[in-house]
Amino acid sequence: MDGDYLELRLGEFLERLSADGLAPGGGSAAALTVAFSARLVAMVARCSVRWDEAGGVSAQANAIGERAVELSYTDGRVWEDALTALRDAEAGEVEDPKRDFALEQKLEAAAAAPLEIASLGADAAALAALAAEHGDATYRADAAAAAALAAGGASAAAHLVRVNLGVHSADPRLARALASEQAAQDVAARLLDSRR
Amino acid sequence: MSRYATLTDAELVRGCRADDAGAWNELVERYSRYVYAIAARGFRLSDEDAEDVFQDVFTRIYTRLDSLRDDSALRPWIAQLTRRRCLDAVAAKREIPAEEVTEEGSSDLSDVEEAFEVREALAELSEPCQDILDRFFTRDQSYKTIADELEIPSGTIASRIARCLGRLRNELEAKN
Repeated sequence: MDGDYLELRLGEFLERLSADGLAPGGGSAAALTVAFSARLVAMVARCSVRWDEAGGVSAQANAIGERAVELSYTDGRVWEDALTALRDAEAGEVEDPKRDFALEQKLEAAAAAPLEIASLGADAAALAALAAEHGDATYRADAAAAAALAAGGASAAAHLVRVNLGVHSADPRLARALASEQAAQDVAARLLDSRR
Repeated sequence: MSRYATLTDAELVRGCRADDAGAWNELVERYSRYVYAIAARGFRLSDEDAEDVFQDVFTRIYTRLDSLRDDSALRPWIAQLTRRRCLDAVAAKREIPAEEVTEEGSSDLSDVEEAFEVREALAELSEPCQDILDRFFTRDQSYKTIADELEIPSGTIASRIARCLGRLRNELEAKN
């Protein structure tokens, strides 16, 4: 698909997500979940008129949201490339170092996108924590919802890094993805727990 | 930072008129990205055409600086020179007279203008503020990466960026 997912109506995107093609898949959905989270934080900040740092937090949240949307498209594209290369490699009957090198590169790109999505999830959750603490109390539940979405997006993305064939268990990329997932989950657990 | 970097545009123009090489270097340094951005982003010229415009505009600045009536209006004057030169380049490509070419990318041009104003305001902030805003908004670094590299607790990064953005907004408001 040309362009990016922002050019689609929400219904069209959901249709594509449930269609039997390759992309968009879990990574794209995780990225958009993080984007939803970030935009929700921006809303809480904008509505918190007595919070001095609200403008700055809103700007950061929007920047995170924009990056996440870009990644939703990038992830779909690199994942499709990697899967196609993987199928070609599986179908090949003889060893081909050039093809194997290309596959390695594509797997690396397919791990880089969800790794960044997980990191954005941790950042969105950190902003949600600030919004819950300093924002208008009326919107505290929205800040907690944003943290939960950020944690969901980060967890999904970290899982995609974990199952990537080019990533081994001691790989520093996996450690970074898991650290992002943990950071986002910690915030979400704290904010969701605080009103129980 | 050289002493020329702190000069106002009017002071810079006076330095250039006095054939001060340092002032000329600063003028090129200060406006090279601006001219290139108008050509490449505002008019979407190819790298090669944008480079031609760039060379030509700075040659014209050098030879015609005496014709600038208000020394503090250096930026609008450079913008006008650049736009005219870009229109010529577009007309030459389409083989039509320059007056028949319109500034189609006017929203892109205002983006370039706005970006330049932000850059100027950014230069007025403290170095730590410039650094942290550059890391987050230009280099897309995560809070964790910024925290690790600057040895600041991760939780304070977002607040610090927000405060620096507040200062940037004050600078922009003061300029306008």
